[in-house]
Amino acid sequence: MKISDTSLKWTSTVYHRRMLFQVWLYSYCICLWRCLKFMVRKLTGRCELQRICYNNKPGANRTMKIETSLKNSKNKLLQTAVSVHPDTIEKIIDDILILKKISLDINPQLGVSLQACLLQIVGYRNLIVEIEKLRRESFDSDNPEHEAMLLKLWCFLKPGIPLKDRISKQWTEIGFQGDDPKTDFRGMGLLGLSSLVYFAEWDTASALQILSDSHHSKFREIGKKELSNFNKAEWEKKKFDKAIGYSFAIVGINITDLAYNLLISGALKTHMYNVAPEAPVLKHFQQTFCYLIHEFHKFWIEEDPMDIMEFNRVRNKFHKKILKQLQNPDMALCPHFAASKNPNTTLVLNPSLEHSVISHRVCEHTSSFPLNRI
Amino acid sequence: MCSTELSEGLLSILRKLKSVPDQEVRILLLGLDNAGKTTLLKQLASEDISHITPTQGFNIKSVQSQGFKLNVWDIGGQRKIRPYWRNYFENTDVLIYVIDSADRKRFEETGQELAELLDEEKLSGVPVLIFANKQDLFTASPASEIAEGLNLHTIRDRVWQIQSCSALTGEGVQDGMNWVCKNVNAKKK
Repeated sequence: MKISDTSLKWTSTVYHRRMLFQVWLYSYCICLWRCLKFMVRKLTGRCELQRICYNNKPGANRTMKIETSLKNSKNKLLQTAVSVHPDTIEKIIDDILILKKISLDINPQLGVSLQACLLQIVGYRNLIVEIEKLRRESFDSDNPEHEAMLLKLWCFLKPGIPLKDRISKQWTEIGFQGDDPKTDFRGMGLLGLSSLVYFAEWDTASALQILSDSHHSKFREIGKKELSNFNKAEWEKKKFDKAIGYSFAIVGINITDLAYNLLISGALKTHMYNVAPEAPVLKHFQQTFCYLIHEFHKFWIEEDPMDIMEFNRVRNKFHKKILKQLQNPDMALCPHFAASKNPNTTLVLNPSLEHSVISHRVCEHTSSFPLNRI
Repeated sequence: MCSTELSEGLLSILRKLKSVPDQEVRILLLGLDNAGKTTLLKQLASEDISHITPTQGFNIKSVQSQGFKLNVWDIGGQRKIRPYWRNYFENTDVLIYVIDSADRKRFEETGQELAELLDEEKLSGVPVLIFANKQDLFTASPASEIAEGLNLHTIRDRVWQIQSCSALTGEGVQDGMNWVCKNVNAKKK
């Protein structure tokens, strides 16, 4: 009894000491970090926000650091700056400059840089709200707008081929599960449909190509050893399986889920902050979807799966690959298609605003980042 | 004296915990597309059910329940995927067949698929639980009606049960799983 008692006491003391040490280490580090910031500020005459803007080129590199800095600040104004309404950003910037005692005459572009960062940060948050709203809206057969969207998808993917009936086996030709697509959107709701429609409308050639590939899975050489394991019936079945490929629309809805997860988890910040010079909007999300489905298709072919039953394995591997790519702050999931070739028509939703902001800006880095003239 | 008794007691408990691993049970979850298989699977694993997408291929989850480790295989129900179901028949301990009780138009189709499954040699004698799902819907048929429509009373070669449930609200799911755990070893040879 004595032995176990002492050993129990001993372990609990060790545990408490370790915990105390961790608390102490944590507060020590924070204290050290604040002191360091204070000293650097005194030495360089610049606050942390300034230093970030000066040392990092525009894009994810800069915006993500600004976001962290604002979130971790002990000042309420800076903390809440990441969640303000876009219209109040200009006033917030003025307040921050006053708070930090920064004169705009000496640092003319700082306000503009900060404003661009805040627009992106706030825009990303608003985009999450918008996407979530779209996702929660279930597909409703009684809603004429929803029905029109669905028929639009058919028209783009099956040009010139009329749909014989609203409820028809024909829907399986574009990769829905049964004769009525309405039950296939499920947890992705209208977001799934709008992503598919965007892909089919703006990247029609690619969508048609992928749809056609998904019908005719490429021929696979079956090894002799594998062949000897089949009897005739199995061989017939395997041959039949080879032609299955995957279901285009269903895979599209699954990839929407993947894009949605990337957005919600914040992993997509790198990409969004690199491609959207101002606030990222729905269109950016849809373009990301187009990129992802295109890349997934390539990945699927490279992975050379035996059959559709490997879908989730391949999908998870693809998800990990994209997550890894997005850890690189310079990463942009570059759209490859015509819809984004002309940035003036696709990336800028409000040309007048874009023009007015850009005309006041001083170019800092333009070589690697032609769109982000901040 | 006291300390030796205590430590021996503790040791025996530890030994017991170690020496009786949960019995692994292989459960196959089948049914037409949109029957609610994946929702049911996620409900069993106490996961979020608001982001479900149609299953391409299959999902698998392990759930601990009443001293069993239930390995639940949820295979897509799309017509194109149904030929693959047979690849998962081997060593199945319990078959769970899910029906969308509100989808009257496809009762015949789902009955046909079930009849085919029950004829499969590899599934002979395997206990079958039929979930009459989506009872939360106003238009859902009661389980008794479905049982009659599918002629379930003619099943003689295995133990079976029909359970009304709603995978969305979780109602009835636990009752069904209790039946599964009771009948895990009831496979007729």
